Amino acid sequence: MKTRSIAFRLISAVLLVELASALLVIFLSWGYERHIHFHAFDVILHGRADSVLGAVQDAEDAEDNVMLDRADLHLPPEDIYEVYDAHGRLLGRSSNWPVAASNAPPRQARDGFLHLDVNGHRYRVILRHGSRIVDPDEPGGGKLRRVVVLYGAPTAHVWNAIFGAVEFYAAGSLLLLAVTGPLIAWLLHRGLLPLRQLAALAAHVSADSWQFSPPASARKTPELAPLTHAMESVLQRLERAFTQQRIFVSDAAHELKTAVAVVKSSLQLLGLHKRTPAEYEAGIDRCLADTQRLEDLVAKMLTLARVEDGSAAGGAPLQATGLVSCLRHAAAHLDTVAALHRVRVAMETPDVEAAGVRVALGAEDCLLLVSNLLLNAIQHSPPESIVQIRLVLNPAEKAAELLIEDHGEGIDPAALPHVFDRFYRGDPSRARSTGGAGLGLAICKAVVERAAGSIQLTSQPGQGTTVAVRLPLATELPASPPAHSASINESVADFLRR
Amino acid sequence: MRVLLVEDEVRLADNLAAALRDSSGFAVDCAPDGLAGDDLAGNRCYDLIVLDLMLPKLDGLSLLRRLRARQDPTPVLILTAREGKENIVQLLNAGADDYLAKPFDLGELIARAKALIRRGKGAAHPMLTALDLEVNTLEQSVRRNGVLVDLSPTEYRILEYLIHHPRKIFSKRELLEHLYDYNWEHHSNVIEAHVSNLRKKLDAALPGADPIIETMRGRGYRLASEAERAEIQGQERS
Repeated sequence: MKTRSIAFRLISAVLLVELASALLVIFLSWGYERHIHFHAFDVILHGRADSVLGAVQDAEDAEDNVMLDRADLHLPPEDIYEVYDAHGRLLGRSSNWPVAASNAPPRQARDGFLHLDVNGHRYRVILRHGSRIVDPDEPGGGKLRRVVVLYGAPTAHVWNAIFGAVEFYAAGSLLLLAVTGPLIAWLLHRGLLPLRQLAALAAHVSADSWQFSPPASARKTPELAPLTHAMESVLQRLERAFTQQRIFVSDAAHELKTAVAVVKSSLQLLGLHKRTPAEYEAGIDRCLADTQRLEDLVAKMLTLARVEDGSAAGGAPLQATGLVSCLRHAAAHLDTVAALHRVRVAMETPDVEAAGVRVALGAEDCLLLVSNLLLNAIQHSPPESIVQIRLVLNPAEKAAELLIEDHGEGIDPAALPHVFDRFYRGDPSRARSTGGAGLGLAICKAVVERAAGSIQLTSQPGQGTTVAVRLPLATELPASPPAHSASINESVADFLRR
Repeated sequence: MRVLLVEDEVRLADNLAAALRDSSGFAVDCAPDGLAGDDLAGNRCYDLIVLDLMLPKLDGLSLLRRLRARQDPTPVLILTAREGKENIVQLLNAGADDYLAKPFDLGELIARAKALIRRGKGAAHPMLTALDLEVNTLEQSVRRNGVLVDLSPTEYRILEYLIHHPRKIFSKRELLEHLYDYNWEHHSNVIEAHVSNLRKKLDAALPGADPIIETMRGRGYRLASEAERAEIQGQERS
């Protein structure tokens, strides 16, 4: 179906309604005018018939008959009349009375109207019973003579009048239609002005300029207010997303440039003047380490981009992974790191059913999440302390809650709201010394959000930090193929390298 | 010359410090964050501050504003990984003297650092002269009356520092502060020994002349008032 403009639709609707009402007016006026005109016509016929009745005179004969005296009768020439007495005897008729149609009306015929065709013209004829009293001065009140008057007049001019009136109404309606069409179009054009203004304003919005200030009139117009609000909120969200993206790109550029600057300066330092082979070797090792850091940074950024891209593209992943086995897997892999830190990792899964708990995460992502959190906890634990892993099942909410608790130095409360920000390093000396680019927790958050879960960090400085991850259970999803240990091995290798 | 390097990226800070020490014999102190940088800069013993912009605790721009707010005239070279003209305009307007975008060329950084120090001391050219003394800060070579004088790195640094302000008296403490970073043990005796050696070497290049470095008792050292004499001579000549 072709989509017409709203203005077109509104105008056609109005014109259609107008056309319908015009037809109705024509129909009603036709009925009304017919009624009025024929009523008046009938009154005239009545009057003229009475005149004819008045012309019935005493014939002054022995039987006291009546006769029609036409002397004082002044009637329109095209009219026709006929007068009969009570016996059906014709008393007189107009000269143009159609003889063919003439037959004495039945005496019993009641008053009323009949139609005749005279020379091709349609006549309306009134039939009246009348009476004359002959010799009213005589004793006994005279003699009553009953007569029947038939009086007809052509209806053509009545119809003309009716059609004339109807034509007037019809012409008026058509004129109204013709005038209101463009008028409505113009009014609509004016009425839709705020909409066009809004569109013009919206057209100016771009990635560089988010300025969108709809006029107050648009806000107050009931039809435009929802649109205006929707546009404003959409733009605000878009701007926020854009700003975040911009900050991310800028931060990423900063990190990459810094990493490249390190590599470059390491190489240039080596070339500043002649050095001994041993110094060159050490220098090359440092350069390699610097390059490795650059590589790790890029890998982490790509991981983050992949996870965030996935959540943007397809919502929750369509695979499930056993959380407990994933935890065991990660813990086993991080054994060396834990041993190096002299930290013990303790796992506690009180629910028997928890053993089979599966969450809506791909095995790779699940391992990434768990190992990142675990590695974080181990790194921030003092020697001879315990990293406690707790897995609690929440059947009511169909969710699993994973708690990873360390007894490290904790996080500064001021830094706590920002720990999940990309490239955020709460304590630089700590973050740098652990080699983080400030992406680990951002990756964790992206993974958890992809699975429609939530992640929270609570910390008491000096006491330790607890990460709480809530993940919705996945019972229907197919099991994900087991993860490569690659990602985790990288983290370990990464750590051991430092 | 003593340089304060405020940079949170440890490896980069290490490299820069090594380069500045190796190539120019500067004393370099490193600060890992803005607040530490602010603390160190408060000692007013630096001839140049190399400042990263993205710093934890206190960002580079705020640190720069603090410096300038307390009338610290130390030249500041900004290291930035951010692009955009506005940013640079804002930096220069906030009192930065120069900037370098990461990743930068180490040689360029050293050259700019030297230029800023020079400018900060009122010299426009890397060749510094005081009467018959000629110091080439690029080659780190010294000539007296055209004769090359072989100086140890420390002796050279002392001379370079003195020649920037002929006639000004530098206390031993000031020399210590500007020539050694915090990694050194402070001993004013060290300065005395170096100055003594420096004087001997310089005087040996032009036998019979007045000692070129004067010791102002209890106050410090200054490059001989030959400079004053030179000025007077110059006025007479014109």
